[in-house]
This record gives sequence, C-alpha cells and structure tokens, in this order.
Amino acid sequence: MTTPLLVTKRMTEYPTDSHTIDRYEATGGYAEARRSFSLTRDEIVEEVKASGLLGRGGAAFSAGLKWSFLAPARPSYLVINADESEPGTFKDRQLLERDPHQMLEGLIITAVANEVHHAFIYVRGEYAKPARRVQQAVEEAYAKGYLGQGIFDSEYDLEVIVHLGGGAYICGEETALINSLEGLRGEPRLKPPYFPAAKGLYMMPTIVNNVETVSNLSHILSMGADGYTGLTDSTDTGTFMMSLSGHVNKPGNYELPHGITWRDLIYDIGGGIRDGKELKTWIPGGASAPWFIPEEHIDLEITKDATASAGSMLGSGAVIVMDEDTCMVRAAERIVRFFSHESCGQCTPCREGTTWMEMILRRIENGEGRAVDLDLLVDVSDGISIDLAWPPKMTTICPLGPSAVSPIIALRDYFRDEVQEHVMRGGCWFPGAVKPGEAGRPMASVSGESQAGIPEGDRIEGSP
Amino acid sequence: MTSSDNINLVLITINGVEHQVPEGELLIKAAQDNGTYIPRFCWHPRMNPVGMCRMCLVEIETPRGPMMITACTNTVNDGMTVDTENPAVKKAQEAILEFLLANHPLDCPVCDKGGECPLQDQAMAYGPGESRFVEIKRTFEKPIPISDLVLLDRERCVLCARCTRFSDEISGDPLIEFKERGNKTEINTFPDLPFSSYFSGNTVQICPVGALTAKPYRFRARPWDLRKIESSSMFDTAHPRIEIHASQNEILRYTGVDIDAINHGWLSDKDRFGFEYLRSEQRISQPLMRLNGELTEVSWAEALDVVATRLQLIKDEDGGEALAVVGGANGTNEDAYALSRLAREVLETPHVDARMDDALSSHFLAATVDRALISDLDEADTILVWGPDLKEEHPTLYLRVRRAAQELGKTLVVIHPRATGLDDRATHKLTYRPGGGFALAAEIANGDHTDVVGALSLDRVVALVGIASYGDGPRLAESVAAMTRDLAGSVKILPLNSRSNTFGALDMGLAPDLHPGRLAVEKPGRDTAEIMQGLGSGEIRGLVIAGADPLRDMPDPRKAVEGLETAEYVVAVDLFHNDSNAHADVILPAAGFAEKEGTITNVEGRVQKVNQIRPAPGSARPDWSILDDLAAHMDLPLGLASAETIAKEIAESVPLYGGVTHDHLEWEARDGVVVPMEGSQPFDYVPVVLDGPQAPGAQLTLHRARTMYDDGVRLRHCHHLHRLGPGPMAHINPSDAPGLGVKAGARVRVTTSQGEGEFVAVLDEGTPPGVVYVPVNQIDGSTLGTDPVVRVRTVDPGGEP
Amino acid sequence: MSHWSEATQERARQIISRYPEKRSAVMPLLYLAMAEEGHLSDEGMEEVAEWCGITPAQVLSVASFYTMYKREKTGKYLISCCTSISCMLLGGDDVLHSVEDESGVPHGETDADGLISVEHVECIGACGGAPAVQVNYELIEGVTPEKGRELVRWLEKARPEVVNTDEMQQLFGERRSFDWAIAEHDGAIGPYPAFQPLGTVGDEGGS
Repeated sequence: MTTPLLVTKRMTEYPTDSHTIDRYEATGGYAEARRSFSLTRDEIVEEVKASGLLGRGGAAFSAGLKWSFLAPARPSYLVINADESEPGTFKDRQLLERDPHQMLEGLIITAVANEVHHAFIYVRGEYAKPARRVQQAVEEAYAKGYLGQGIFDSEYDLEVIVHLGGGAYICGEETALINSLEGLRGEPRLKPPYFPAAKGLYMMPTIVNNVETVSNLSHILSMGADGYTGLTDSTDTGTFMMSLSGHVNKPGNYELPHGITWRDLIYDIGGGIRDGKELKTWIPGGASAPWFIPEEHIDLEITKDATASAGSMLGSGAVIVMDEDTCMVRAAERIVRFFSHESCGQCTPCREGTTWMEMILRRIENGEGRAVDLDLLVDVSDGISIDLAWPPKMTTICPLGPSAVSPIIALRDYFRDEVQEHVMRGGCWFPGAVKPGEAGRPMASVSGESQAGIPEGDRIEGSP
Repeated sequence: MTSSDNINLVLITINGVEHQVPEGELLIKAAQDNGTYIPRFCWHPRMNPVGMCRMCLVEIETPRGPMMITACTNTVNDGMTVDTENPAVKKAQEAILEFLLANHPLDCPVCDKGGECPLQDQAMAYGPGESRFVEIKRTFEKPIPISDLVLLDRERCVLCARCTRFSDEISGDPLIEFKERGNKTEINTFPDLPFSSYFSGNTVQICPVGALTAKPYRFRARPWDLRKIESSSMFDTAHPRIEIHASQNEILRYTGVDIDAINHGWLSDKDRFGFEYLRSEQRISQPLMRLNGELTEVSWAEALDVVATRLQLIKDEDGGEALAVVGGANGTNEDAYALSRLAREVLETPHVDARMDDALSSHFLAATVDRALISDLDEADTILVWGPDLKEEHPTLYLRVRRAAQELGKTLVVIHPRATGLDDRATHKLTYRPGGGFALAAEIANGDHTDVVGALSLDRVVALVGIASYGDGPRLAESVAAMTRDLAGSVKILPLNSRSNTFGALDMGLAPDLHPGRLAVEKPGRDTAEIMQGLGSGEIRGLVIAGADPLRDMPDPRKAVEGLETAEYVVAVDLFHNDSNAHADVILPAAGFAEKEGTITNVEGRVQKVNQIRPAPGSARPDWSILDDLAAHMDLPLGLASAETIAKEIAESVPLYGGVTHDHLEWEARDGVVVPMEGSQPFDYVPVVLDGPQAPGAQLTLHRARTMYDDGVRLRHCHHLHRLGPGPMAHINPSDAPGLGVKAGARVRVTTSQGEGEFVAVLDEGTPPGVVYVPVNQIDGSTLGTDPVVRVRTVDPGGEP
Repeated sequence: MSHWSEATQERARQIISRYPEKRSAVMPLLYLAMAEEGHLSDEGMEEVAEWCGITPAQVLSVASFYTMYKREKTGKYLISCCTSISCMLLGGDDVLHSVEDESGVPHGETDADGLISVEHVECIGACGGAPAVQVNYELIEGVTPEKGRELVRWLEKARPEVVNTDEMQQLFGERRSFDWAIAEHDGAIGPYPAFQPLGTVGDEGGS
C-alpha cells in the first residue's frame, strides 16, 4: 500500500483549492495537454494502450484500444461520461467536484489523440454541484485559452459543452448517452450497427470515456506507460478508485493499487463491519455485479480477471457491504427495483421481467411469498439472462436487464434457505421489517405496487 | 436495394440446411425467403429495425461459442450458421411471450384483432401455454381516441414501435410517441394534439395487437367472417393496391397490399376509409326522369327510350356537333372506352372531355414520352416537385418521395407557393407568388437560384409537375418539364392530375384532341370549358355527364353555371345527386367502385384490375352497360358484353394496351402492367418559357389548392371522413394581418373578379407574406375562380377578444 | 411568438447555438421551461418543440423519459430522499418516512401551499454518506430521521430563497462521502438543478 496517489493526490494535498485552475497549474497541471501537441496522434494512442488503462465506467475495456477503433470519418466527437448513477458509486462525483481540471486535461489529451474538435461532458442531472464545478473549470480553461479556438497557442480548436442529464441511469450506457445528447429518449442503440466508434453522435465516429478514465491520462503521459504499469505487480495496471459503502466503519472513496484482497479492503481500509457484526455478503462492483460471500471470496485478489473468474465484476468500483442483520430479500428487492425503475422499456424481457421480479420479491418480503416463488424468480431471470450465465447471455439490447439478475443469483446460490424461511414464516423477521398486521408502511415502491393479490388456492400452507 | 444487379450471394446455414442469400440482407428476411419463419412483433419489412420485442432471438455460431442475437437487426454474412429452433431459442421465445402476455388483457373475444392477431398466433405457436404471472396487471384508461379515426387501447400495446416509426419514418408526422419509460412506457399523443395524420390508418393495419383500432371498423366484424378480394383504390391517382374486406355484401374495411411498384402497403386515410359512401342511403338506385319538373323514378326501358329519342332528335336536327360528353375520369377504363365509343360512334360528336378545366394539356398528360415510373424515384439523383402539395393531393407519391429523400438520401427540390408536406425533407425549397411560376421558371433556366440549378443539373432527375396553384394556369408544368430537360443529364417527367382515372380516360380517348391510344385527332372538338360555353350559347343542345360534377370541380364554375342552366337536354350517369346533375333531365344510376370489374390506369401509366365484391344498389349498373344499352336504343349498338370482353377489345384495338387483359392482370401481372409510352404520337416541342400568366402587381395574391379532405360528393357520403377537411378558411401570413386589419378567427370576405365568399381567417406562417391561401371545395366554402388578384376585408372580427 | 421572458429566450438562443444540431438542446431547454414556470407545463413543452424544430409529442416523449422534468406542479422545495441499496442499508427508508410524516406530503406529491414536494429516488451518488437527501438537487449526506424532520421544519419556517448544500449539510447532515473542503455560496432557486448556463443559480451569500 505504498503506491502513490494519482487522481486523488492534488485534492488530498491541497484540500481547499484543488478545483481551481491556479492550484492545478501550480501543481504541474496542463503540462501534458500542452505537450500532447508535440506528439503524434499515434504516439498518444500507443502510450495509452501500453499503459493498460482500463475504462473505469464499468466495462473495463482497454481505453487505448477503444480509441484505436475510431473510424476515419470526420467530424469525430468526444463525450466524457459523467453520468455516474450505478448504486454504490460516488467516485466520479469526487473527481468532478475536487479536481475538475484533471478531468479537463484528460479531455484535451483525448480530443487531440482522436482529432476531436467538439467535446461534451455529460453530467448526471442530480449532480448539480459537480456540474457547477465543472462549468467553472471549463470557463477558466476557456479564459486561459486552453479551450476554444487555437488552444495552447496552436491551430487546434476545441469546443466543450457541459450537458446536464435529466435523471436516467441508462444514459450511462454509451449509446443511450449519445441518444440523450441528440435530444432523444435515452434508449440504448443497436450494436450492430451503431457502434459509437463508427456511428455515434450524429452518426459520426464518437469516443465515450468515463471521468476517472480520462483523469488518469495526464499521469500516464507524465510518467509514461512504463511508469504507470510499474505501480503494481498486479495484472491490472495503475491505481483505481473504489467507492465503499454499506455496513463498514469507514465508508468513502479510496484510490488503491490493484492487487489487494477483499479482506484488505473491507477490514483494513474500510475498518471492518459496524458494531462488531459479521460480514454477510458484499457486492464487488456496483449494483449490477453478482454478489460475493466471505466463505468463498474474502481472500480473492481485487483484479478484473480474478473477479471475473469468480463470476462477478469490478464494474464501476462500488463495493456495497452488508452485515449479518441484513435481509437478503429486501436487499435484492431494492436492487431489482432500481433496475426496474431505470429500465428504458425498449426490450420486452427487461421491461416486463424486472418489474415482475420486483413484485415477487416485495410479495415475499411482505409475507405473501409462495414456495414456488424463488424458482419463478430464477425462471424469470432466465428469460432476461439465459441460464443466468456469467458473463450474461443477454436477451436484451443492453446489459441493464441482465444486471437485475445478479441478486437473484445470490438468492439462489447462497440464500435459498433465507428466502424459503420468509415464505414459511409469512414475511421478514430482520430488523426494520414491517410485520403483517402491524402498523407501519409497506416498503417504498418506485415502479410497482407493493401489495399483490395472490389467489387463496395458490398460497402455501403456513403462510398467513 | 432496389436494383437486382450486382447482388452478391453468401452461403448461410439455417437449422442445418444451406442457403444462398443476398449479402447484407437482414437475417429475418433471408430466413423467411428460404422457408424459415422467425416469429416477430416489432420488425416490419418497410421500416428500420429496432430490435425491441426480442421475439426473433436466434442462436448463431461464433468463435466464442453460440451467441443469441435478434434476427431482425443482424445482417447475414458468409458462413453464418443459425439455429432458430434449438432448446435455448425455444426457451427465449417462450420467455418473451410469457413477458408480453404477463400484462396483456385477456379480452380477445371482444378485440377487433382477435382471429388475425400476431400475438394470439405466436402465443399458440411458440408460447409457454400458461402464465405464471399472479400479480395485478397494469391498467390504463381505455380506449382513448388519438385521432378522428383511430382509438388506442394501451393495455393491449406490446410497445413494438411500429406506429411511432411509421409516423416518424414513413408519413413524416411524428405526433404519436412513446411516453414515460420502463414498465410505465406507453404510446400516446401530446395533450390536445391528436395524431391527425392523413395516414393514421396504417398504424392500425401494422399494429401487431389490438392496441390501435379504426373507428369505422371497430366491433363491426370478426375476421373469419370476412370475404376478401384484391383491388386498387380509386381516390389516389397512384392507385394503391388494396384488399377489400366485406361481410354480407357490406364493405367493412380496406387494407393496404404491399406491392413494390406503388404503395408498399401504405394507404392514405381517404383511400383506406373512403368506402362508406358506397353503402349510403343517398345512392341513386333507380333511373330518374324529370316529370313536371320533379325527378321521378322510372323503368330503365322508359328512361333509355326517352334519352335515346331526345339525343337522336338533336343529332338529326343539328348533327353530332350539337351533342357533347363530359366525365369518365372516375370510372374504369372499360367505362371510359364505352363512353368514348358512344360519343364518337353513336352521338358522332368530337366534343368529349374527361378533364374539368383544371388539368394539364391532354397531350402532355397522356403522351409525355419520357414519363417516369414511381419506382424511378428510388434511382434518381434529384427529385423535383413543382406542382400540387403531394401530401394533400397525391398521398402515395408523397410517401414515395418522402422515402426517397429521407431513407434513400435523394436530393429533393420543392417549388410551391406555400408550405408543403415535404418541406421538412426538401434540400431546396423555393416559394413564389401564384401567377409567378413562368417568371420563376425563366429565372432558373437563366441560371439564377444556383442551388436549385445545381441540383437539377445532376445526372438523373425525376420531375413531378402539375398545377401548383390555379393562378399559374395549366401550361406551366410543360414549361417546367422543358426547363428540367434543358438542365439535367437525363430526365423523367411525371405529369400530375387530379381525378383518379384521368390517365385511363385519356388513353381511352376521352379528350377532344385524342383518340383511344393517344392518337391525335385531326380536328379537335371542344374541351369541358368550351362545351359549357357552347351549351350557354345554344350551339350545343344536349349533354351527357358521366360521373362528373363540373359545377363543383371547374376552378371557375361560372363557366358551367350558365351552360348547365340553359342546356336543352342533360343526361347524367352517377351514384349521387350533385350540383351538376341537379340540372339533368334524366339521371341513370351507376354502379360504383367494388360493384363492378374493370381496369384502371394510374399516374405512371400502370394498368391494374379492380374487382367486384358487392352488388350495386337497386337497379344501378356499370356505366359501360348503361351506355351500351343507350347505343342500342339509338340503333347503333356497341356490342359490349362484359368488362372482360371490353378489355379484350381494348387490347386488340388500342395497340398500347396490347395483351392487357383481365386474365393477364389477374394471373400473371399482380403488380399491373405499365402501358408503354413508345408508340405514342410525338407532340410539338414546348419552349421553356411560354406566354403565360404573370404575377399580378397587386398587393395580395390568391393561392387556391385542393386538400385531401374536401366537400367532394363521395367524401360527403363518408360518415367518418366528411368533416375532416379544413373548412372555409383563408390563410394569411401573420405579418400581413395588421395591415389587413385581420385577426385570427375573424370572419373575412374574400373577393376576386370571379367570385367572393366569407371565410374564417387563419394566421399561418406557412403562407408567405402577400399571399392568401384558400383551400378549394370546402364545406360551406364559396368559389373564387382562378384570378389571383384578391381583396380581403373583415366582416366580423370575432375570434379571440 | 414565445411566451418566455426575453432573458430566457436569449439563453435558449445561446444554448442552441452551442450544439451542432438544435434538437440536442431539448434537455437544457426543458430545464429553462421549468425555471420559467416552476414545473414543466404543456405550454413549456410546446415552446421547446418550437425552438428545437420537433413536435410537442416528441418533446413529451423525451421529457417523460427522465425523472427530473416535473410535469406536475412542484413545490418550491423538492425533497428527494434516496432509498437505493446503500442508503436503505443505513436507514434511508426511515428518513423518507420521517420527511413524509413531518411534511404531511407522501412520495410523489406536493403540499397544498406548493411549498414542499417529497419523493424517494434511486441512487444519487452519496452512498459513502448514506442516507442522503437532496433539496432541489442540493445534497445533504448522513441524514437521520430526526434531522429529516428538522429539515422539513426549517424549510417551512426559514423558506430560504436559495437552497445551499453546504449550509444544509452543516445544519442537517453528518457523515459525508468525502471531504467537501471549502464551502460555496451558490445554490438552487427552484426544484430544478442550479447550473450557470441555465441561469438557475442563486447566491445564498448575497452580494
């Protein structure tokens, strides 16, 4: 854990003004953007490829490789994806608020490397303060001549627009984001044929990169690919941001070297479980990721490959920790509810399946579960993500629907007895549960009604 | 990909069987063409795939193992191996159907779609057999009207985006859209802004469930009780192909038939719902004769005896020149041929015309040797539309031009006195004052308007030309055609005219200067306007009107009024009473569309067969049969036995129609036969700039044009369509309003040298400054003639306070 | 024939001019429409349609896809309580219920005076400071049920013109996702995000 901080270094050392252009430049900022004009496009792309930098929005695809796929047609566009909305994730918010120029410098480098003259920063609508910080930074950069016409005294023009989202998780998916930027509903596009690198924004070649991804670029150029890959011995290079939340003593964002284990993260860095409770389960990579349990996964290395071979992903770097007092049905319901609420509605399986699953889960939690319901949940999931395989075999256009299946895999594999006990006991017994007949509210419902009518004959014995 | 040249074939394997299929084709289509039907809801062959319903999931082999893809969004490539029925695919299909049915209401017994419902059918074929959904189903208020003609039941909707894509990609009026998202997603319109598309009925036809239903059809029949026959619609001059559905002799609906050459399955609402007039109580069903001033029912024998006697008497006294024939453009070719023979052989008059003084010259219409086919639009570099607003008057052409511009990326030039339905897709749009058309054509010919000149100078140009505004006169189109021929590499011209079978009528010789087969007449007779004049002056004493209403249809009806009022003897053959046959001495009841067989010729010269599915009311008969009997009563029998034998006679006596028999059209040429232009007689060279009307120097210019819905006699008897027209409106530009002292909604008096009337003022950005636009032939509207000089004054400020 | 103020129209023109295609300005213009009327009315959508050259139905289709374009009358203060997984684990539901009880406004509704609207929302990116609440998209982290009640009472009593995240965090928040470092004075003036290009930023410190 001696790896130096990269993307959070400035904000750690200069907490009061790390977001200003003065501090940014005083600490060496914009040197790499300026230097990028002395490099060829290929040199930049190759350096980034060699650095092994993986996209930090969730898909973990090589950033340099993504750039190299850009089709030759022009104009090309760049969109910085600051639509951070995956439950558990709040790292980009910190990077946007606390060091927006670092992201802007990465934007400039990306633009130069890909011949982009028109870039957009798509900030989720609920991130008003981060958007204001970014807007201020953009205005400062324009005033300095780092954005606009002839930037850094070159012939190069670069216009940047900060675009505010409207409240839709799915716009974090790059083709949905592109539709949204075009003034359309944020529905993912078909791939094929609408690969952003060829037919993206306004049907032109487009690069979509995450905030954290581009925030790494100035560091990669300054230390070189070798320096960057040399930061760890792990298969994954550089550092990565993790958002830690849930029942840990020290939640928060942490910039970490690859190669530590989940035990290191949860117990050392996160300070262990609150109130001396036991760890029950955790989600390793945002709400979309299949869950891990201590019995099987606590000593796994936190790398892309190790996580994938254990049947999950690091995704957006969000780790959600749940203790022994957490009801798994309620936790699953909350995650499925999220995807149901955020489903764009295009694909039948996602639109209908996620809502159906949400209704079943809420029914079980509220004491109206049936013995067949867990198998039904698995079957419904099967229709969205064939065989509940990992990585998913999707019946949908984008991975949102199949993401909703992750909690069901956990219920099936690790918590079957707990689900069936909900059925047998007529509801939930965990702290905070609403007991049937007791005064209280049903669980908050966003997308469906909580009380479903179950015909008498379908109820199992022992159910109230 | 319309061209059949240079298509590469690739080898794919579907369920273990190898097929050669065109490279780049969508898998779902390639499979279907080779006998493997892949179930689907959202995919439609005439619209861009969206891959939303996920019903067409199949598995393909990849280097990384089997992969599930949608067959509607992926194209075939060489070596592709596809499985459409393995257990994984079957499981996916069952899952999709269970999802779709989870919230679908079980009201199939009362649903219009029941029995012809893709959801029903595919649930049978691919579904899980039972639903495990025990939760409460999603509910919506139902049904809600989304237009005058279409109702929406959102509970039944499977969100396939066919209707939204149609309105956006095909008809160009995206007024019906997805609303909300996720599980709450629904189809809807904006509040108080209905889906008032001229093409709304298509969404009913392509809806894969009973979510969109048509008011004229709702609850009227079960699909399995319907008798069906193919035909072609006779409102639209393109003659879109339709299927007529009837039950117990009553026509209940038309559906569009997809033929590549014409309508791709689409219909305007007028063509789709314009059948209600046939069952109107107002149909004339018995011969009527004026006795003591009153039209009185008489027998056919009595009527024909009297008519024959009177016409014979005039002919004997003053010769055939004292008789005249107008009409024939709304019937079949067989009817037109009979009328043409009656005029020339029995009445022995040269005065015969199917046009109503609002048409292009008959030579230009019938015998433009470089006439375009509709399908030429798909191959053009540039399309010029200088004529009527296609959306209002030529709906099929409108859709085809829109597709060519929007989907195929053709350069589109639109020239018209005001906004048109194609403006949003036009590469270049020029607007001019009515009457200024010749001057503008001269400017373009001289190289002004460089954008337009550039576009028209490309290699392949298709020009659709017609009468954009009455003020321009009938010969501007010839001038535009000549101008285009001078500029472009190669040109095809499509002359446009209203009235559905004008081209067939002209081909059958219903013009004063044409014999059947477009052969020139040495000594031309009178056209309709001159006939009316002759009636007024007494030079013509007897008139036969066949399926026409010159009083309504002539742009300057004053020309017809005197003629019809003073005519000595008028015989009308028609379905309904109208303004013109109110002056008739005898009215003979005619069979209407779908009550007789025959052929018709569309705007591009394509001959198609129309068919009978119901009997005519009372003793009404096809025109040809009436005319044949009349000829016999005049002792000059025509010897016409049936529509089929007439068609044979046409095929033998009119060389251009050689081989175009009913048999051929029914069995061999389902898309019809294009009558060749070769063999048409050459006509005089037309200079680019003709002497024509000039734009008046007056401050205000009148623009008059037809709208899709008007007060025409057939629409008047279509319950669901009649009131859809704009009504008596006078459109002016908002910037002209203060100067004229006119407010929106005010009643204004509009006056020209040829007429005047009161209209409701509409402030309209689409009408340029200095122009007053008054739609033709509206309910409660008055006629204003063709003079473009106009005055407007407010008689009642009304409107908003 | 715009119904918008001249200032808003000028802003609309500026926003449209920045995008390569004017339809792209739909989303920022929808916020302008909300700022004009306090919520997104049918007239507002018609206006946006006019500016962007599309039909009102297309605007509605876009607006209704996103959660932040409020088509119902919305209170001066929109209280959004996160009940997504991380907040739920630490009592987000209880915070929501306390806010609903104290204000008397259930989820998705607005009080009779048009002062407060309450909604529960999915993840707002404050999981490290769960449970989190936003007022007019200005964030408060580490909110307890009792602090939730105090927040409602404060809004009802103090009725701040500008809602400032740092001030509210000070008054009603505890644990944060990360160090916010320095405070700023600007904030929201209505139930839509405070953002300079939209002209929806107010200065709480006064000037």
